[in-house]
Amino acid sequence: MNMFEKMLSWMPALLRATGVTISLTALSVSCGLILSLFLALGKISKSKVVQKLCGAYIYFFRGTPLLMQLFFIYYALPQLHSALTISSRFTAAWIAYSLNSAAYLAEIIRAAIQSIDKGQLEASRALGMSYGKAMRLVIIPQSIRRLIPPIGNEFIMIIKDTSLVSSIALVDLMKKTSQIQSSTASPLVYLPSMAIYLTITAVLTWVFNCLEKKFSIYE
Amino acid sequence: MSMIKVENVYKNFGTLEVLKDVSFTVEAGEVVCIIGPSGAGKSTILRSLNHLEKITSGKIWIENDLLDDRKDGVNLVKLSSAERASILLKTGMVFQRFNLFPHKTVLENVTLSPIHVKGLTKDKAETLAKDIISRVGLADKINEYPSRLSGGQQQRVAIARALAMEPEIMLFDEPTSALDPELVGEVLNVMKKLAESGMTMIVVTHEMSFAREVADRILFMFDGSICEEGKPDEIFNNPKNERTRNFLKSVL
Repeated sequence: MNMFEKMLSWMPALLRATGVTISLTALSVSCGLILSLFLALGKISKSKVVQKLCGAYIYFFRGTPLLMQLFFIYYALPQLHSALTISSRFTAAWIAYSLNSAAYLAEIIRAAIQSIDKGQLEASRALGMSYGKAMRLVIIPQSIRRLIPPIGNEFIMIIKDTSLVSSIALVDLMKKTSQIQSSTASPLVYLPSMAIYLTITAVLTWVFNCLEKKFSIYE
Repeated sequence: MSMIKVENVYKNFGTLEVLKDVSFTVEAGEVVCIIGPSGAGKSTILRSLNHLEKITSGKIWIENDLLDDRKDGVNLVKLSSAERASILLKTGMVFQRFNLFPHKTVLENVTLSPIHVKGLTKDKAETLAKDIISRVGLADKINEYPSRLSGGQQQRVAIARALAMEPEIMLFDEPTSALDPELVGEVLNVMKKLAESGMTMIVVTHEMSFAREVADRILFMFDGSICEEGKPDEIFNNPKNERTRNFLKSVL
């Protein structure tokens, strides 16, 4: 087999593992986004207690290594209490990445909301809207366009950060690549693997550029 | 009947006193212009009427409802947020910087609150909005986004948006100060028509000719207090207070 045929022969296995990488990223960022919206609103709420709680959450998840959070959820939680056992590696990773990305996304969303001119909130209030309605109808929709580039960034980061799951023996693209590398002793396997990561990133970049254009129509 | 009654209002920002013992009333159908130098507290008192600023002490009535009775920043009037909202809905506000919703078209700007606050159906709200938008002369712009409009057009949409909530009192906070000179006239004309229709209006303005022509009464503010008030003719032609004289000399 020549070099090219060799790389091609690994492709099916690599692509199967890519499914894990993509689904883990998509699920984690989606859950992270929902959680982060509440964290961001908490961080700018009037209640000092809520502010502090959300701040502590963000501080914890941004202040400790993601790999350690993953280990903690998968290995340490079951030891704390048997009810906290997460038997599925995928679920454990999903939880860790959701909780972690929520912390980063929360700061992105908070900054985007606070970057909206305060005249917008004043006008909404003067028109009789409650704080919640003003947020939902006026402030958050305007902040979405500003959120798209940093959320795209976060997506791309998570795609590559998911390679850490190989350390809890979850077979994602990274893990599969190392497995092939050790069984064949061929360093060439990294090339198709990198090509797959780059393709995913290219697609994501394109999607987020389209979204940004779509949400810019009013400017 | 007084539409608005303001009694002994004080407002501090930290140690800075921006309003000192401000009292006045506005009758139904009256057009009152507040004039005075920058930093006199004109915008602050106007914004207090709509709770965009919280006064430190004093009382504010909107129609017969006591909105504020404050001492040391604490409101002694206990209203539920729904009760307060219903009082505040009697006033509509127009801002210096328009504050239109940039992600909504002209029509959506005007229908948003009638639909989501008053609970009008979309059809009803749009019929109402189209009528009001054509009254401010922008019937051909209903599907444009605000960024496609001139400043004068944006301010007219802002007026339409406030009117769509059918307020009894309109508050204008320097509505023409952010406009290019050639666009001021179109906004003032809309306001003039509104005044002629019998709307109760309080207008903070630097447009002395508008104040002279349209106002029933002028309040001259200086350094947080109302120094002089009277009919435009008295204030402009025969000011009694020396500060009023100096101010008018500098702007006319």
